[in-house]
Amino acid sequence: MRALVIDDSRTMRRIVAGTLERLGFETLQAEHGQEALDHLESGEQVDLACIDWNMPVMDGLTFVTKVRANPAWRNVTLMMVTTESEHGQIVRALAAGAHEYLIKPFTPDAIRDKLDLLGLVPVEEPA
Amino acid sequence: MTLSATSFQLVADLVRRRSAIQLTPGKEYLVESRLLPLARDAGVDLETYVASLRTARPDVLTEVVEAMTTNETSWFRDGAPYQAMRRTEIPRLVEARRGVGRLRVWSAACSTGQEPYSLAMCLAETLPPAMSAEIVATDLSEQVLERARSARYTQLEVNRGMPAQMLVQHLRRVGTEWEIADELRRMVTFRAHNLLDTPPPGPFDVVFLRNVLIYFDLATKRGILDRVLRVLRPDGVLVLGAAETTLGVHDGWERVTIDRTSVYRPLGAAVTTIPTPREPLAATGTDGPPGTTLPRGPLTVHRTGHHAGTPPTSVRPTGGAAR
Amino acid sequence: MTATTVELDQVHAIAQEVFAAMVDGDLGLLLPWDGALPALEDAIVAWVDLHGAWSGRAVLVTERPTAEDLARALLDLDDDEAVSPADLDDAFGEIANVVGGNLKSLLPDPGTLGLPQVGAEVPPVAGAVRAQHLPLSWRGRLLVVDVWVNPGGTSTTSTTGGTR
Repeated sequence: MRALVIDDSRTMRRIVAGTLERLGFETLQAEHGQEALDHLESGEQVDLACIDWNMPVMDGLTFVTKVRANPAWRNVTLMMVTTESEHGQIVRALAAGAHEYLIKPFTPDAIRDKLDLLGLVPVEEPA
Repeated sequence: MTLSATSFQLVADLVRRRSAIQLTPGKEYLVESRLLPLARDAGVDLETYVASLRTARPDVLTEVVEAMTTNETSWFRDGAPYQAMRRTEIPRLVEARRGVGRLRVWSAACSTGQEPYSLAMCLAETLPPAMSAEIVATDLSEQVLERARSARYTQLEVNRGMPAQMLVQHLRRVGTEWEIADELRRMVTFRAHNLLDTPPPGPFDVVFLRNVLIYFDLATKRGILDRVLRVLRPDGVLVLGAAETTLGVHDGWERVTIDRTSVYRPLGAAVTTIPTPREPLAATGTDGPPGTTLPRGPLTVHRTGHHAGTPPTSVRPTGGAAR
Repeated sequence: MTATTVELDQVHAIAQEVFAAMVDGDLGLLLPWDGALPALEDAIVAWVDLHGAWSGRAVLVTERPTAEDLARALLDLDDDEAVSPADLDDAFGEIANVVGGNLKSLLPDPGTLGLPQVGAEVPPVAGAVRAQHLPLSWRGRLLVVDVWVNPGGTSTTSTTGGTR
């Protein structure tokens, strides 16, 4: 399974991608929504996108909206990973079509829990 | 102020005995940061405090273990049992209790409350308007019960296993934390209870006894399951932890497989102390031992295509990714 | 109008959660600083601006070696692995970002968050007052979290320049 990690922070991309890789995912990275869309438009097969909200060029909410507007990408699971934690913001993201929402700061276990909820069953960690 | 190896080992042994959690070398900082406040309260330095644990009272040791153990509690733990409740057991019990108008649930190792509140969310979303539910939530520790009663959770805690849909529907922000909605809190009563004692007054329709039997020996497990059987309706359901079973422990139960999980129902007429008559189900649905018209034995439930835990009402637009 | 809507214990709780989750792994090693504050040598500062019902800035200050260790913890590097200046700024800035983001969510109206910035010192904001001052000990080293508020309620608009 392949995941697209979208965040303008290299540190955060590394943390999220690292956790996903340990859970058996291949990962791609993007610095903002437009770069992420470029990945999808170029035909990259993506099962999961982990999306920061506040990014330059194109923010996460806009990216979610665009993905959900395109039937070709209906099988991409969209999870926000963001510091935006107001009740209203979460509602906005879910209404725009995000499937799940992870609030920063988060632990690796929390990512795994969300993947379980999404039915994206991770591979067991190597011993 | 580094903890000595001996002291670290003392704490590690204590924690491992009481909680099965391993504190490996390298975690000295962890022990220091967690126990320093306790040492300060006791008015001694850390080494002295740890040394005193050799002869400390049980409640002091409990405090140390609680301070050291990670909160592993998540919402809707393991997922499948709550799915089984939503899709099969709650509808079944609702049908059986129409005359009563109420379901009673016992969360028997409720810890900081995630389990009973998760159950409350399931019930709030699946009960018809004419039915109410009461959840009795018990735990040994008054300390965790106080936390549970406050119904407030940190961002880290709500990140663990709570579907985002549920979060926005059933909790609200209060400062840095999230608080369970009042209508759910009203469903739950917390009280201290030792599983070795007489259970809270039944009868219950549902008992969740998850991940707590592992701490007891076989004879004690049997005793606990006996007492649960006494307060569970004959057509009620017992839910254990993901890796737990009554098989080989207590033969008064029938295991029922629902989708990816197992639940347990009282076997036949093994119950002798619940004073409900053992008559066939009356058509009026009175408070007899209903369920005799329902199929017994393993059930299969078809998996539908939506995410685990996704509630029927949704802020999500319809259509989109089929899962 | 109150100058601030964040309490000290809230700042503390946020800092603890960030460190527990992302730096130390599950259990926090962040304690209140005990005793007099030493002067910081080779200080490094990271900050984010918050715009909402009140405008403010969340600031993290520590010594460079401490920030490097923080970066190593975040990036899962070995104790002796070098941390590039770019990685240091990005990692320390991200901690400020997450702390600031959580502070923002305490504001009564939904606010916005600026991009994190890192430097040797924080540019001052005219009229801002330091509303909260939280000296902390991370593995025995000083880390300070300050929350500045502009009581005028207008934006502190510092430059949001500095791409990541």
